[in-house]
Amino acid sequence: MQPSYGHGARSIDRLAYASGMGGWNPAFKTVLSLGTLIICLAADRPAVSAAVIASLAALQKFKGRLPLRDYLGLLRVPLVFLLLGGLAVACDLSPVPAGDWSLSLHWFYVCASADSVRFALALVLKALGAVSAMYLLALTTPACELVGVLQRAHLPMLLCELMYLIYRFAFVLLDTHDRMRGAAAARLGWRDFRTSCRSFGGTAGNLLVMSLRRSRAYYDAMAARGYDGGIRFLEEDKPFCRASALWTAVFWAALIALRLAAR
Amino acid sequence: MQEPILQARGLRFSYDGAARALDGVSLDIRAGDRLAVLGPNGAGKSTLFLCLNGVLTPDEGEILLDGAPVGSKERKRLCERVGMVFQNADDQIIASTVAAEVSFGPMNLRLPRDEVTRRVGHALEYMALEPLRARPPHDLSGGEKKRVSIADILAMESEVILFDEPGASLDPAGEERLEAVLARLSDEGKTLVISTHDMDFAFRWATRAAVFAGGRLIADGTPEAVFREDAALCAANLRRPVLLEVFELLRARGFVPERAPCPKTPAALEALLGAGDGKAARTVLEPGARL
Repeated sequence: MQPSYGHGARSIDRLAYASGMGGWNPAFKTVLSLGTLIICLAADRPAVSAAVIASLAALQKFKGRLPLRDYLGLLRVPLVFLLLGGLAVACDLSPVPAGDWSLSLHWFYVCASADSVRFALALVLKALGAVSAMYLLALTTPACELVGVLQRAHLPMLLCELMYLIYRFAFVLLDTHDRMRGAAAARLGWRDFRTSCRSFGGTAGNLLVMSLRRSRAYYDAMAARGYDGGIRFLEEDKPFCRASALWTAVFWAALIALRLAAR
Repeated sequence: MQEPILQARGLRFSYDGAARALDGVSLDIRAGDRLAVLGPNGAGKSTLFLCLNGVLTPDEGEILLDGAPVGSKERKRLCERVGMVFQNADDQIIASTVAAEVSFGPMNLRLPRDEVTRRVGHALEYMALEPLRARPPHDLSGGEKKRVSIADILAMESEVILFDEPGASLDPAGEERLEAVLARLSDEGKTLVISTHDMDFAFRWATRAAVFAGGRLIADGTPEAVFREDAALCAANLRRPVLLEVFELLRARGFVPERAPCPKTPAALEALLGAGDGKAARTVLEPGARL
């Protein structure tokens, strides 16, 4: 696995902070990706899906300054799922040969027709387009900004605060866990299966104790800064630029035109 | 004498009814003090800080602000005037970017947005964090997190700042930067209270030292005086600053004037040796010379 995208959530988070589109208004990015997602799903044409995939990949590469390799690497995981799912959609099992192609497996036949393959491909493309639209948001917008958008969309304050804190603590606990894993490794804690099980139980239990202890420390530190039941942060103003709205309109119009042409 | 800005009177506190963390502590803090709080782990230093800052309510005793007792309902006023930098920056940082983190305190003071922006900008600049303002805290090094946790409190612009072992886990460059910040804050008229295990730092920096052991205040005075109280040092398991030891050694051998006060830095000691009775001092300073 590539180290640049080998750590799941942590690397997505890092990419979001490093993205060249980080300075864009987060609400605008949310609208852009949701709008594109809806057009891609509603259009239901392989041409539109392919256009969405290609143009969003280009956007990530040139505007987001995300190396294409990393982007494709991130797309690989959902792609594998989609291809397996597409295979199941395209193929049928039958006791007798049917459709345009059939593969004999002694007891039964795996059959596929040109139509079913076309349908499956269209489905995979559409899903991949939707994934690209979501990646546009996920890879360019740090989670805390998304919470800010949700807050402005009138999500209850309590949920927003929970999201802020969970996001922060996930990383604190990951750090703690990494350190404990390392400490266990330094004492041969993972040498065989039995020991590994014991070490795993130990780290997990310790993590619980640590989080309880830390919750108290955090509460004290928040109270020391005048916390009174509501978590408020200053949000950076990320100005919304008219030119990007214009580009978005052109992009969406082009997708809709493509849909009408691909009748 | 100047009226104390913050006072503790007969504080007693215990966590969950266990042994007393504070056992009758009275302490006056005057404006402009540079107070070093010394004592072994578990002596009650952090608990005292949490009481002074209004996070913990003492079981007995009271806190006075400008000579007036702070009632249990006005403890927010304490937070506003007394800031506290926690020992472990990771226990303090809650936001997802540096700038948002620093804004948490001022936002809780219910300041207007412009004022919050100004204070955050000022605090970030003060701690040289401007380039990191949009970075997430889990991306920072230990020293950077410490600077963020100090900026957190600077943005609240409190008059008294309590530092709980700020030097722990800093590298030498980080310690140097911390001392520069402390000197600047002190020049700007802030009252600083620092708990530390670094005797040399306490001796060099503080205008006043308080020694704690077992939840009690057992010595309070100028660092020179406190570090000569052998009984208190022994009870709190503290050692004397290296510079003071060296100075006494030199004095015993007659290399420095009998009545000179102990210098606070190696440079000051050198100046003293140069000024003292010339010959003996020069012998010491020559390379390879034996004492």
